[in-house]
Amino acid sequence: MSEQPTLEAYKKNIQEGKYKAFRCTKCKAVIAPPLGTCYNCGNTKMEWTTVSGKGKLVSFTIIYIAPDEFAAEAPYIVGIVELEEKARVTARLIGFDPNKPEAIKVGTPLKLDYEKGKSGKTYLAFRPA
Amino acid sequence: MFAEAVDKATTQANIPKKEIEAVFVGTFNPEMLIHQGHTAPLLLDYAGLRGLPATRHEAACASGAVALRAGIMAIESGLYDTVLVAGVEKMTSVSTNKATEALAAAADDEFESGVGLTFPGVFALAAVAHMQKYGTTQEDMARVAVKAHKNAASNPLAQFQKEITLEKAMTPKYVAWPLKLYDCSPISDGAAALVLASDKKAKQYTDTPVRIVGSGQASASMDLSNRTDLTTFEASVLASKIAYKMAQVTPKDIDFAVVHDCFTIAEIIATEDLGFFKPGEGAKAVREGTTAKDGSKPINPTGGLKAVGHPVGATGVKQAVEVYRELIGAAGANQVPKHNIGLMHNFGGTGATCVVNIMRRADA
Repeated sequence: MSEQPTLEAYKKNIQEGKYKAFRCTKCKAVIAPPLGTCYNCGNTKMEWTTVSGKGKLVSFTIIYIAPDEFAAEAPYIVGIVELEEKARVTARLIGFDPNKPEAIKVGTPLKLDYEKGKSGKTYLAFRPA
Repeated sequence: MFAEAVDKATTQANIPKKEIEAVFVGTFNPEMLIHQGHTAPLLLDYAGLRGLPATRHEAACASGAVALRAGIMAIESGLYDTVLVAGVEKMTSVSTNKATEALAAAADDEFESGVGLTFPGVFALAAVAHMQKYGTTQEDMARVAVKAHKNAASNPLAQFQKEITLEKAMTPKYVAWPLKLYDCSPISDGAAALVLASDKKAKQYTDTPVRIVGSGQASASMDLSNRTDLTTFEASVLASKIAYKMAQVTPKDIDFAVVHDCFTIAEIIATEDLGFFKPGEGAKAVREGTTAKDGSKPINPTGGLKAVGHPVGATGVKQAVEVYRELIGAAGANQVPKHNIGLMHNFGGTGATCVVNIMRRADA
């Protein structure tokens, strides 16, 4: 994986269940979601990196009123997850009960997974570790 | 709608239309809402101002305030003495789903909308972070809605002129947990307009001019996952610091504020970000009535976006008009007791753009 990573490939990797993040070639900061510039040092050269898949929950919501594309999946949970490598991603949460939101706690340890949606798309997802 | 707002702004201020030298228009997404781009010159056709330089400004829900800032800069540069600033959005010509889709264009499409996160969902993420860090409750948020509806009940321009009970505001019709139907501002049609003039010119038009003494704008990442703290909107903090510094005032000096309450949690967070209350104490201020119309720091005394409506591009201009009316003592039943210095806070999308303006009665 030495080629310059692209956003297209980032999304394709998620569809194939092979999540990879970007990494700055200079300061080695892990970048996800990928932007053109390292938000740590400003370098614009990126490379691929695998992640441990460990993370913790930063916040979440349960979507009841969803856009047409996702309506058949509602209610579903979307959260922001901080990876062990410090980068944060927005992803689906699975393995939690959407009817018991009070039981879902910020800071919960999570592990990376995938969810095949009724929309036909595969989402980056996290479940309790 | 636009022509009516322009007409009211110019006739009420006794400013002949022929004295207007340029027009700054805020509209967000007419392409998706009314299938029309290039709206600035089109609107001049309706307002009888054909021929003037007219530019559209877009910053999602802060479109009105960035148009206003462009007007401020045009006056401050010395290029013009009298300009018109107007905002407009027509949102009900399409279905609610289509309008929601148009609004979603203000959020990050690739990484947030792509996993099914919605616009209310983004504010729900902020709400959950605030609830779990500070103990803010769904009832606290509902109280913001009750206050907004109460204030709007005496505002003839409001979309909802009816009070609601706390019980009604708590109706568990979830849009994006923990946000319910009554936590959300509505889909609205609306227009607002105002005239900005240089100091010299303003004195010719009126004995009670209001000065914009501080103006700040800032931005933050589109994507919430790129922000370190979800309990605050950093662009609001940055923009307000710039505005306070320019105006040479502190949050304590502000008599009342009109803030961007697109969702109830947004008002609670805004009152903290603007420095009125300590982080985590915004909900307490609502509970104790501090932010009520007759409280010591009235917030949204005319009803906010929540109950007056949120015609996206018009909102920032409408906020400035509201602050102006309160300052000159012309807010009728919605008048706040102390009205020397007021603040408006307008933010775009999920807080990726924020504009804060501080306005002061020229004789205060």
